This record gives sequence, C-alpha cells and structure tokens, in this order.
Amino acid sequence: MPVLEVSDVSMAFGGAQVLSDVSLSVAAGGVTGLIGPNGVGKTTLFNIVSGLLEPKTGRVRIDGHDVTRAGPASRARRGLARTYQRLELFTSLSVRDNIRVAGEIRNSWSRRGRINVSAETERTIELVGLGDVAEREVSELPTGRARVVEVARALMTQPKVLLLDEPASGQTEQETEAFGRLLGQLVDERGLAICLVEHDVGLVMGTCALIHVLDYGEIIASGTPDEVRSDPVVVNAYLGTP
Amino acid sequence: MHLFLTYTILGLVTGAVYGIAASGLVLTYTTSGIFNFAQGAMAMLAAFTYWQLRYGWNWPAPLALFAVIAVLAPLLGGVLYVGIMRGLRETADVTKIVVTIGIMLGLIALAQWIWNPGVPRTDNLFFGEAAKFKLLGVYVTDHEAIALGCAVLIAVGIRLLFTSTRTGVAMRAVVDNPALLQLNGGRPGRLAAFSWALGGALAAVAGILITPISGGTLDVHVLTLLVLDSIAAAMFGRLRSIWRTFGGGLVLGLAGTYVLGYFPSSWSWASDFRIALPMIVLFVVLIVLPQDRLRGATLLRTRERFTVPTMRTAVTWGLILLVVVLLLEQIMGANDMGALTIGITYGIIALSLTLLTGYAGEINLAPVSFGAIATIIVFHLGLSGTGLAQRITPWGLLIGVAVTALVGGLIALPALRLRGLYLALATLAFGVFVSDMILADIAPHVLPIFHLHFSIFDEGTLQIPPLKLGPVDLSSTKTFLTTSVCVFILVGIGLIALRRSNYGRRLTAMKDSPAAAATLGQNVVKLKLSVFMLSAAIAGLGGVLLSAASASVTANTYIIFISLALVMLTVVGGIGSVAGALMGGILAGTAFTALTSTFTNLSTDHGGGGIWNTLANLSLVAPALVGISLGRNPSGAVPQIVASYRPLWNVKSVLALGVVAEAVAYVLVLTKVMGNWWFVLATVAVAVAVPALGRVVRPDAFRTGAVTAPPAPGRPAAQSVAVGSAAAVEGVADARS
Repeated sequence: MPVLEVSDVSMAFGGAQVLSDVSLSVAAGGVTGLIGPNGVGKTTLFNIVSGLLEPKTGRVRIDGHDVTRAGPASRARRGLARTYQRLELFTSLSVRDNIRVAGEIRNSWSRRGRINVSAETERTIELVGLGDVAEREVSELPTGRARVVEVARALMTQPKVLLLDEPASGQTEQETEAFGRLLGQLVDERGLAICLVEHDVGLVMGTCALIHVLDYGEIIASGTPDEVRSDPVVVNAYLGTP
Repeated sequence: MHLFLTYTILGLVTGAVYGIAASGLVLTYTTSGIFNFAQGAMAMLAAFTYWQLRYGWNWPAPLALFAVIAVLAPLLGGVLYVGIMRGLRETADVTKIVVTIGIMLGLIALAQWIWNPGVPRTDNLFFGEAAKFKLLGVYVTDHEAIALGCAVLIAVGIRLLFTSTRTGVAMRAVVDNPALLQLNGGRPGRLAAFSWALGGALAAVAGILITPISGGTLDVHVLTLLVLDSIAAAMFGRLRSIWRTFGGGLVLGLAGTYVLGYFPSSWSWASDFRIALPMIVLFVVLIVLPQDRLRGATLLRTRERFTVPTMRTAVTWGLILLVVVLLLEQIMGANDMGALTIGITYGIIALSLTLLTGYAGEINLAPVSFGAIATIIVFHLGLSGTGLAQRITPWGLLIGVAVTALVGGLIALPALRLRGLYLALATLAFGVFVSDMILADIAPHVLPIFHLHFSIFDEGTLQIPPLKLGPVDLSSTKTFLTTSVCVFILVGIGLIALRRSNYGRRLTAMKDSPAAAATLGQNVVKLKLSVFMLSAAIAGLGGVLLSAASASVTANTYIIFISLALVMLTVVGGIGSVAGALMGGILAGTAFTALTSTFTNLSTDHGGGGIWNTLANLSLVAPALVGISLGRNPSGAVPQIVASYRPLWNVKSVLALGVVAEAVAYVLVLTKVMGNWWFVLATVAVAVAVPALGRVVRPDAFRTGAVTAPPAPGRPAAQSVAVGSAAAVEGVADARS
C-alpha cells in the first residue's frame, strides 16, 4: 500500500486553474519523481499535501488515513515531512539548532517513544554531511547546503514520507552526487517513501523508481525513467530533444 | 421616527468622517506596506493647525482650509515617507509598527508643546450653528452636509484613481511587487511618497471635519483616539477595498449613535460602551476576517539581529545590576529611588515584550493594560489590613497574576490566527477597551441575587498599598527598589533560561517560519497561546508592582499611550534582549520623566528661563525622536552599545581607568562633595570616553570587528552612517556563533 496517496486533487487561485484532477501515489522504500516545467503546480501540490493549502476537490491520504481536512501539524504527526523550494529555515538559529529543534518538536508530540535529541542530531548531521558547518548561522550557508539543512531537519521527525522540493538547486555537481547517494541510503536503510520535485534530470533519472510528469496542472505521463525519457509527450513538454 | 432620523443622520456623518480617515490608512498601507498608526495624530495636528490659522490668526476659512489640506498636511505626509518610512524596508513588522507609533507620540508631544493644553480651544461648525436645512423633517447642518459630500467625493475619487488612472494602477502594483514595477519603469518610491501625501491630506480633512461634530473642543488625546477608531473601518475593507472601508465607517458611525440613542440611560456603562464600540468592532472584525493561511517567512532575513547570552553571562550581569542598584541606593534620595522603582517596574512589564515579541515574534501593543487587569484583581481580592497597615498579600499577587494570564489567554485565543500587524491591532483594541470600559467603570454596581455592592474602578482612583512578602515589607522605598530589581533580575534570567531551553527554540522556530514549524508537527496555536499567557502573567506582575510603586493610580496610569511609549522604547532598547527591556522601562518610567520635571523645575526656579522650558518640551518629544530613529538600527540600542564596548576586553588598561574614574565620582557623591546630577553627568562622560579612549590607545582592537563584518545586503545607501556600527554588531555576533 502506498504511504502517500493523492487522488483527484484540483486547485484554483482566483480564476486560474492550477491543478486539475491530479492523482499520484508514493510508495515506501523508493523515490518517486515529480517533474515538469516551472509554474505547473508542483509546489502547490506539495503545499496541498502538507496541509498549507486546502484543495478545491480531491483527497490526500497518509498511511491510509484521510488527512484532507487535517492541519499541517497533524499530518506531520502521521509521518509526513517536507522541505521548501523557497527556503524556510529558522534564521535565528545555528545549523545544529535548526536540526535539533525539529527533534524537540517531534518529541513534544510523538506517542511512539521519545528520541534522544542530542544523539539523533549528531547522527543526522553526520549522515547528511553538515559537520563542518554545524555551528554556523544558517543564513551564512550557500543555498545548496542550506537545502541539506532542511532535509536534515525533516529527517529529525522520523518521517515515513518525505517531500523534497528542488533539493538540488544551488548545489554543485559533487554535492548533487552525494545527495543522490544520501537519497538511496534513506530509501534502502530506512524504507522511507520520498517524493522528489527536481529539475536536475540526472538526479531524477538516477534515483527515481517511478516518475510523474506534471504539465499545466495535469499529469501527462507516469512511468519508469526509461519510459518517461522516451515518451514523446514528455519530450515535447519538458525534456526537449537531446 | 423623527428621533431615529436624527440619529441616523448623525451616525452617517460620523461614519463618513471615519471613512475618510480610514481611506487614508488604506491608501498608505497598500502602497508602502506600512500601517500608519500616526494617522490619528496627523488628523489631530491638522485640526489644531486649522484652528490656529482660522481662529488664532483670523485667516478666512477657505484660505486656512487650503493651507492645511492642500499644502501642510500633504507636505507632512510626504516628508514622513521620504524622511523615515523609506528606510524601513527589510525590517520586521514590529519595527515598522513602532516607528509610526513613534511619530504618533511625537506629533502628540509637539501639539502639546505648541498649543498649551491648559488653554481651551474650540472649532465651530462650517457656516455656524444656524446654517442648516430641513430634510425629511429633521434639521441637517451645512457642516454635516459638507462632511457627507466630502466622503462621497473622496470615495469616488479614490476609486477612479485606482481603476482609471495610470498612477492608480501603478499604486496597486506597488503592493504586490515593487521590484517588478521598477523593472517595468514604475517608480515605487515616488508613488508611495504620493500616497503618503494624499494620506496626510485625507487625515487633515477628517480631523477638521470631526472636531466641530464631536463638540468642537480640541483635545490632543481625544482627537487622536477618535481618528484611531477609524482603523476598524479600514479593517472592514481588509486594508484593500475602498468601498468596504467607507461601508465599515458608516456601520461604525450608525452603531455608535444608535447605542447612544436607544440604550436605557439607567445603564451606567452605556456611554462607556459607545466610546469603546469602535475598538470592540475592530476586535470582532479582525477575528471574523478570513485569514491568510499559514505563511512562511516573507523575507529571507530581516535586518534585526539578536544574540542570546549564556547562562553564566546572564547571572553575572544580574549580579552586577544588583550591586549597582545597591550602591546607588546609598546616594539617592527617596524621591529618586521612587522614580527609579517606577522605571524598574516598567522594565518588568517590558520583559513580557521580550518574551512575546523578541522571542516569539508576536506583538502586544497594550502590555500596561494587562498590568491594569492584575492591579484591579489585587485591589479587590488581594489586600489585607486597613489604613496605613494595609498590604498586598503574596496570595493576592499570585491570584492577580494568574487571572491576568487567563485574561491574556482569552484575548489571545480568538486572535491566535492573526499575525504581525493584525495581532498588534487586536491587542490595541483590547488596550483601548480596558481604558474606555473597565477603568472608566467608576460607578457602583449591585450584583444581582448576592446584593453585593462593588465597582471595578472605584471613583476613578485606587489606593494601592505596598506588597508584603513574608518578612519582606516593601513599605520602605529602599526595600521596594531592591525587591523590584531582584524581581527584574529573576524574571530576566528566567527568560534567558527559557530562550535557551527546548521551549525557547520552538518559539524561535515558530517566529522564523510558522509554516516550517507547523509542517514539523508543532501545534502553533497551542504554542502561541502558552507564550501569550506567560507574557500576560509577566506584564501582570510588573503592573501590580508599578501600581504599588505609584501608590495611587487612575485610569491615566494605564492609558494606551503609556503602553505604546513603553513598547516603542523597549524596541529602541532592543526587543530581543533582557537589557533592552531594562533600558526601555527606565527610559519610559524614569529618564524622560526625570528630565522633563528637572527642566520644568529649572524654568520655574530661575524664572523666565525660556530655554529650560524648551528643553522640558524637547525631552517630551525626545522619546518619539528616539523611536523614529529606529529604522536606522532596528536591532536596538543595547546590541550597539555592547558592540562598541566589546573590543575593550583587549584594552584592559582603559577599562580599568574607566572603572576607577567612576569609583572616584561615586565616592565624591557619597561624601557629598558632588551633587547627584554631576554624578549622572560624570557617568555619561565616562561611558562615552571609555570606548573613545580605547579607540585611540588600541585602534587595531577596534578595527578587527569591522574587517570581519560581512557586507550588508540590500541596505539602502542613505544609511551608511548607521551601517558601520550595525555591521560591527553583526560582525561580532557572527564571530561569536
């Protein structure tokens, strides 16, 4: 059963239809890609899934529970975590405290036993490779690494499903490669369900088991990287001819 | 029917004036993103200026009107924008709010300076009382007809401006994206200046029209508050729609006159209710308004910077403060100690803001009103003994503080969805409501069934006895001072411990990005509620101490302008630090009062000393000037002072010299060789000389901070003077973290 299930979600801002009947699911132990040109509603879909926006129609289920009417906090408690395309870091806190506070928030609501926040913070910093900048203020970090802080912060809530909104934009090539390996590790070792919005085609093709392509608020194609790559509709709308 | 029509017309006229003032608010807010709390004060100043020209200097009415509405008021609005508001980009909500509050307080002080409040002044209706005509059987004065006509003209005019002119369309674009507008050839700065000039003119029209309608007496505070009421109208239109703003104005005006006309006169609170009505409406409208969903930070980073001291530093400074106050007690007279106590108790109230605004990013514009609530509870439930032996019991204090926390929670609960400006307005509404209805409730009531006689604020003055905490009796001024300083230190250290705790980090997370905190599972509502209650409790504690230190309190002790001045000066001191709260409290409660009374005494003692009088007035305007300057250094004065002293650690000789000089001055005062004022002057001289001397002795020690300072992005070039020091603050803060 998929951990995250979005069915027939539609959304409009004023008169502008942003999403029409979008359905997709994200399964545990794999990365599901969501790609498409800028402004087709990928971030809007993430905002709907995480509870920051209410859809006009449609359902969102996490772990089988219907959370369409639930607020963002209760969705997090069901195991959802996310990062933001426009960074939403806690700018008054250091890198370490940004990650730490996420664990503290998690402990304040979790019924599944508390985590040792200090130990978990260090483990996560180590895992994502932020050890050298842990004491710095987040606003000093280059965008690429700041995005990693958001990923680390999201991991601290021990999520089942993780939404990543353009995590690799602003990263160097080496950083993106390392990030790809990190995603693989999270999927294999923790069985995490990851939904990845990304423009770095290499990263998407390299990590995703399944890819959905969104264009003008509609899913125009779904399939494995190879299927999507060779789909003429997708090539025309987004990828372009190589 | 006849009566109904009379009330309806009166209500429509008042509503029209509300609409005019509110449309000015909407106009300036939509184009500059700054909510002008000074709108009421601008209207007040215009009404006074008009009076001066028309009745003081006997100018003909059209000329006086033209001078005020078409020349002076737009000039004031434009100058305010160009001189002050433009510098407020990339600052937090609280900074923007505080600066316009500073202007409001400044204009009030200025008006009181120019027009002695002791001299009565009245404005007459246009064309006099006799000029009226009959409409549907009731008399309408020409003045009222003019007011209605103006409102219609202005509503239609603004609507046309927004929809049919290039300037108006560009003005609407400014709100959404000034940068984009600039790229497309628009000039957001010029448009905003234009809208502020127009806002000034609208304020003037409102001020001149409403004065004769509301009795004709010119009173600085009454006029300012009267126009402040129009905020409720602006909120009907969500600070956007001009039509709904005018509609809201009419609703307000009509509701007010109907309450006046149809509530039984046996209800002693009916007239208070009418006065408080606009603020009650404001609160309700704010709550009912459809709200934006949780949003993330709109700016990547605002210019404000705060560092959190370690517990060791906090305790050390707490002890230093205690020692300093103990030493000062040896040389101060009872009056001076009393004045300092008032300042410290204000400081405790200000700590509630450090927690709420500095740590959690929420705004409360009425902290002193919470102090009033606690005081009333303590007065009714927490006293023991009679006459001079009467004391506040510890239990009484505890109940007062607990009830205040509950009231804070009740106020916050509906307002929790509100953020920034909207929450600030809700607390403003609460504060004015407390003054207008609760503190004005001076007539005795009889509680039904129990036949209990009581009145909330008995005959307008409450005598608050000192506190007795077990063996510690605060009836002696010295003990009171020492105890309040200890309370301040304990609460302050407690706050720093809180900020360093898991709870404090969660508050900071919520402040920096409510959206991210919520998607991590934080129940934002619960967290906000808890911090609001805690903050209200601290304000209550400080308020009871303030009332006890003042001994005799009236409604004026807690008037909203006191709250606003305290909020402003605390932000000036540094809203993110405990020391900033101390500075804000002492500035609000002690320093400016002391300066004013000293200068006033000098002018009466030395007879005809005009210069002293001027200085006294200047020191009334001074707090506002300090507040207005905030745009240049939004982090507050304390971080700046700390930054200028920090390099001195490497120049120990100069530091030691400073300490010795201060000690010598102290001994001279103790042995009565030198007077207290000379001691103050000597202290100021030492405080200024030490960093300056350090700079001369070891220029290199001071330079390092400047070298490591990162370039400040997006800072307007006009602020280069302040940037140097602000950058130094950042440099130090960055180096430490």
